[in-house]
Amino acid sequence: MWRYLKLWLSLAKFSLLGEMAFRGNFLVKIFVEVLWLAILLVFNFTLFQQTTHIENWDVNQYLFFIGCYFAMGGLIETLFLENCNQFADLIRTGDLDFFLLKPIDEQFLVSCKHIDWSCAPNFLLGLGVMGYALWTSGWVLNYSQIFAFVALFISGAALAYGFLLLLTSASIWLMRNQSLYEMWWLFTTLMRYPREIFSHGNWATPAGFFFSFVIPIMLVTNVPARMMVKTLEPSWLAWYALGSAVVVLIVSRYVFRAALRRYRSSSS
Amino acid sequence: MTQGLRKYLKILRISLVERLAYRADFFLTTFLRFLPLITTFLLWEAIYRGSGTDQIAGFTRDSMIAYLLLVQISRMFSSMPGLSTGIARDIRDGNLKKYLLQPIDMLWYLLSYRGAHKIAYIATTALPYGVLFLLFHEVFTLPSAWTWVAYIVSLLLAFLIGFFFEACIGVAGFWILEVTSLMYIINIVNFFISGQMFPLDLLERYPYVLDVLNVLPFHYLAYFPAMVFLEKKQGTELLVGLLIEALWALALILLSRWMYRLGLRHYSAYGG
Repeated sequence: MWRYLKLWLSLAKFSLLGEMAFRGNFLVKIFVEVLWLAILLVFNFTLFQQTTHIENWDVNQYLFFIGCYFAMGGLIETLFLENCNQFADLIRTGDLDFFLLKPIDEQFLVSCKHIDWSCAPNFLLGLGVMGYALWTSGWVLNYSQIFAFVALFISGAALAYGFLLLLTSASIWLMRNQSLYEMWWLFTTLMRYPREIFSHGNWATPAGFFFSFVIPIMLVTNVPARMMVKTLEPSWLAWYALGSAVVVLIVSRYVFRAALRRYRSSSS
Repeated sequence: MTQGLRKYLKILRISLVERLAYRADFFLTTFLRFLPLITTFLLWEAIYRGSGTDQIAGFTRDSMIAYLLLVQISRMFSSMPGLSTGIARDIRDGNLKKYLLQPIDMLWYLLSYRGAHKIAYIATTALPYGVLFLLFHEVFTLPSAWTWVAYIVSLLLAFLIGFFFEACIGVAGFWILEVTSLMYIINIVNFFISGQMFPLDLLERYPYVLDVLNVLPFHYLAYFPAMVFLEKKQGTELLVGLLIEALWALALILLSRWMYRLGLRHYSAYGG
């Protein structure tokens, strides 16, 4: 464990050095992200000129949700997305051989090797938005609530990581030419909104149930955000989110290893 | 003249065959692309429920959903993924030579190529989009025949504006070597100012912003055709809108051709 932490820290440092070699590119990428957040906020602001509530989320609570989503997305993009995106390439070129030869866990090496520092500011921007939303809503400091939020946020990130790994492994079989970026973006549409918007209508309600409990992608941001700005009324939902994070992590590891077993180093 | 046209029609045909080679891939991603659309519908329904009115900036719940669907059609015509970066890459790599050595003009060639791409794309997505439109058919009221004509004209002009705007950015590659990051920024801003994110009428409290956006060509890429279909632009407003759209298309054609000619003089065929 200690060895992996040390290894990860040196990989992080190495990635940062690589990024700093192209500082202009780094700055442009950050600028694009800030722009994207600004447009999201303008959209949000425009919506709340028309209504005081979206389901039972008021403007500050909804703003907090957006911050939580942005921070979560930033965290996953910084740590894992670029790595998983390259997995298909590693297989196609046969370069995965070099990963398998090393005396290190393959899943660690494939999914954590590169840290995309240019996405890290997203995490901070998300934190900033969350902080602003709490400040304007007159939130009173409550350490146990912060602790619960951090724990649920981490469990949400673990859940998202598990889904990303599942999608990465599945992409080997399903979509050889598709970029994982787009798949992930489309899939994470489901964690971008409060799950209450899925609570009306003939098909939306079952879909909402399905993506909350069977494939619990909606819980990734909903559970931590709810914990912080509302009291998480059915507290079993928090436990359910924690439990499903563990299950999805185990299942995704199993599927990933199954995908590796099918690898035959076909190139060269 | 006819021979010149036949040349580009042939290119259109070849590209069409090439595009249709990847069908299965196409269907899968098209269906996945509906996911953001569906969640946006649900979000709007929640907003209408929360606001307690059924008119937001002149849009009923139904016409809002119709708008969001129609914007997809507009973008089907006007979006040009990879066009400007492709042109800039050809300039940078020296691949531009292949156009200069043949009796073929790069911009007209790419226009035929894109036209084929669009026809193939529309043909192959007709089925999934047809299903989607059928599912939501009750939000639409079919417009009159003249509106149909105006709608199709506005879409074709949107294709030209989309194409020649991106061509201008691509041709700018003669002077700036890297247009990819510029395109990222333009795409994000465009998502907003073309009205793809929400109808621009929601900005009614900021008339000066609306004025600026109405002068720019970007709202023709998504907002304007959708509004034509919904019959929210009628009479002189419609005619003036179409006229300005045509003028923008013409201006961008001339600008891109002028930049291209200027660029060729500047060009020194590196690489290759």
